[in-house]
Amino acid sequence: MRNVITYVIAFLFILTLNFLLPRMLPGDPLMAIYGNEALIAMTPELKAHLVERFALDQPLWQQFGAYLLALVQGDLGHSYYYNSPVSSIVLGRLPWTLLLVGTALIISTLSGIVLGIESGWRRGSRRDKSLLTSLMAVSGFPDFFLGILLLIGFSVTWKIFPLSGAITPYSGLSGAALVLDVLHHLFLPATALTLSYIGASYLLTRNTMVTVLKNPYILMAKAKGLPDRVVRYQHAGRNALLPVITQTGIQLGRMVTGALFVEIVFAYPGLGYLTYEALLARDYPVLQGVLLIVAVSVLIANFLVDLSYSKLDPRIRYAH
Amino acid sequence: MLKLEALEVSYGEKKILNGIDLELKDGESLAVIGESGAGKTTLALSLMRLVDGSVKGKILFNGLDLLSLPEEAINELRGNRIAWAPQNSNNTLNPVHTILNQVAESITEHKLKNRREAGKQASILLSSFGIPVNRFSAYPHQLSGGEQQRVLLAIASANQPELLILDEPISSLDAPARAEVIELLKHTNQDCSFIVTTHDISTAAKLADKVAILYAGRIVELGLSGEVLSRPRHPYTRGLIRCYPDMTTGKDLQGIKGVMDRSVNGCSFHPRCTQAIEICRKEIPPLRLIQGRHIACHRGGIIPLLSTKNLSKRFDSLLAVDAVKITIEGGETLALVGESGSGKTTLAKLIMGLIEPTEGEIYLEDSLVSNRGKDFYRQVQMIFQNPGESLSHRLSVLELVRESLDIQEIGARDERDRLVRQVLREVELPDSEAFLNEYPHHLSAGEMQRVTIARALVLEPRLLIADEPVAFLDSSLQAKILKLLLKLQEQRGLSLLFITHDIAVARKISDRIAVMKDGKIVEQGPATKIITSPGHAYTRKLSQAALDLSLED
Repeated sequence: MRNVITYVIAFLFILTLNFLLPRMLPGDPLMAIYGNEALIAMTPELKAHLVERFALDQPLWQQFGAYLLALVQGDLGHSYYYNSPVSSIVLGRLPWTLLLVGTALIISTLSGIVLGIESGWRRGSRRDKSLLTSLMAVSGFPDFFLGILLLIGFSVTWKIFPLSGAITPYSGLSGAALVLDVLHHLFLPATALTLSYIGASYLLTRNTMVTVLKNPYILMAKAKGLPDRVVRYQHAGRNALLPVITQTGIQLGRMVTGALFVEIVFAYPGLGYLTYEALLARDYPVLQGVLLIVAVSVLIANFLVDLSYSKLDPRIRYAH
Repeated sequence: MLKLEALEVSYGEKKILNGIDLELKDGESLAVIGESGAGKTTLALSLMRLVDGSVKGKILFNGLDLLSLPEEAINELRGNRIAWAPQNSNNTLNPVHTILNQVAESITEHKLKNRREAGKQASILLSSFGIPVNRFSAYPHQLSGGEQQRVLLAIASANQPELLILDEPISSLDAPARAEVIELLKHTNQDCSFIVTTHDISTAAKLADKVAILYAGRIVELGLSGEVLSRPRHPYTRGLIRCYPDMTTGKDLQGIKGVMDRSVNGCSFHPRCTQAIEICRKEIPPLRLIQGRHIACHRGGIIPLLSTKNLSKRFDSLLAVDAVKITIEGGETLALVGESGSGKTTLAKLIMGLIEPTEGEIYLEDSLVSNRGKDFYRQVQMIFQNPGESLSHRLSVLELVRESLDIQEIGARDERDRLVRQVLREVELPDSEAFLNEYPHHLSAGEMQRVTIARALVLEPRLLIADEPVAFLDSSLQAKILKLLLKLQEQRGLSLLFITHDIAVARKISDRIAVMKDGKIVEQGPATKIITSPGHAYTRKLSQAALDLSLED
């Protein structure tokens, strides 16, 4: 319960920030809210409409009320650059980012955990050393740089994967062919993200394994005559998982930022690429919309992590 | 079924176990007793082949050489034919699995592949170990320490092992639960052989047929539990038992001087041993069978220091001492208890050679005492009942204490004075010039008695005969002198023949008690036994007459 309250407070904080930031910019708040693009289309009627819409002639708290009311109705504002509501633009791009970040997060975390368990089980073995060296090297590269390398190698030189986009435009594909096409486009950007984030979960799992293995229950498990595999995963791995899951929640926020760059490299039509376009066009409503949606998604993801945590560790479940 | 041959375990340079030879038959149980750091847990784990260190020697389990088996084969045995239950500590049970699963896991891995069946069997086990049904799906942290320990025992018993290794199994349980769990263990694992490692002597006595005393990685004494614990023969074993508080011991707890040190040459116990001789410092004693007991000691265990055979003294028509046979062992206190006139002092005087026996012999370390020379009195000294009478009022404290050194011609003058000061400090008296020049009549009763003790101890005797040393003192001084004697015994390994009419005092200071009546020893045995279950009516009478502070309603 206390958790939920924390999340509500964080959510309200984000809303307030999102509300206050453009209004605190110097100059005309309309300019700040709508950006350069709006000036061109601005007529006195539109201006009057907008002032009324944002209650700009009212005191700040009433403006906040109007802002919240609009949010509740799903109104994130209007983009004059795209000439359509921000909410529909953002929601149209959200699935691609979810797909990209989700895939990369799941694959990097899972493989990081498995490799970390294997590595930590026999620390100092040759397998451990080679895994450690190669994963440290790979995650040393920035994600966009990995993206560029992959793009040049697999798309430009060998032409195995498409250069850009999330689907082949105007191909009219459907069903399984569409799925394959999507995966084909997803492969390189997801690989770039996965590779640059796998190191974190791998290292943490490996280190946690090393401490977990010192626990008496590991000796107990061995004394029961359990096969190595069971001791490694059921007993050691299961306990080493907990901090890794926490880290995954934190990682998510960073990965969304990473996705921003990777999406630009691959011209992948997700929120990151949208942000890039909006920045170039100074399309403030879209930027704000993206900020809000991303912040809320990260919050939700962290909340889910918290929930899964108590499933994984009975000590937390009964602590409340 | 189990045989250890020259088992050695070392972690790097450090040898933890050193040439352990043991044999265990089917259904037999063995307790391995030792203080912390003796190597008990290492021994337990090496039987599971779960020690990190390097292991040498042989472990034969029903003909299988455990140390040369491949990993899969040893895994087949673990938790199945050989099971291990450790002492419960934080995280001995896996915190993220339910206790039922942790018991069932052992069964599914070895005997029953069917999960449901295994679960059922695990439930039965948990119930029989006293875990309530509604706790089965609990996680370890939700259980009390005692319950966790029971779960560990249930896990170990899961596959009806042939050999069960219990590493400090019940130290974490409270006393009533202990007895119950011991019963359960015996009941659940019939025909199973046990190895129990413990520092808890009473657990060992209850669970095991045999005990092995482990010191610094070596077995120093091995024998039947009842015999070893009631009559320890190795000085270390006796020391351990003296350290152990139980409801029947009367003697104050005594420690063992020094601390365990594995790096010493020769017998590893010799720096703490009060009867160590030259060979103890050089050679490691092997575990040998000496008079029905396995003992690793160059001296054959605790030495009988002084014994009398058929010792009698007749004064005209009165038989003051009648065929007395007593033995005083090295480092022990034998209390001689009886009313005045029972012949106690006469016996002491006979031993000291102050009067001649009518009949019988006295042996000092197995050699017959015929004419007592200086050598005898260097080893046997006496303190008398009334210090005021036994100290010459013409001599100063310095001269009184130094006198025996002068007679024995030990050291030069300076050396003698140094020894006098040293022994005075030892008996907690000042060693100032002023005190050294005091005359006895200026001293208090307590100080005088300490001076007589100092005088007796200055020769470093091995046996001190104390004839009613505290009878003249008030109870607070009495307590101090008794504590002093116990301290000297712990540090020097002094043997005491403590003569008293008060069985309550005897109980506080003695290892064994001999009860004397009309010149005869009517009963003798371990102090515990004489106090709690006296066999002779006279002993009971003495006990009842002893001081009792409890108030009647």
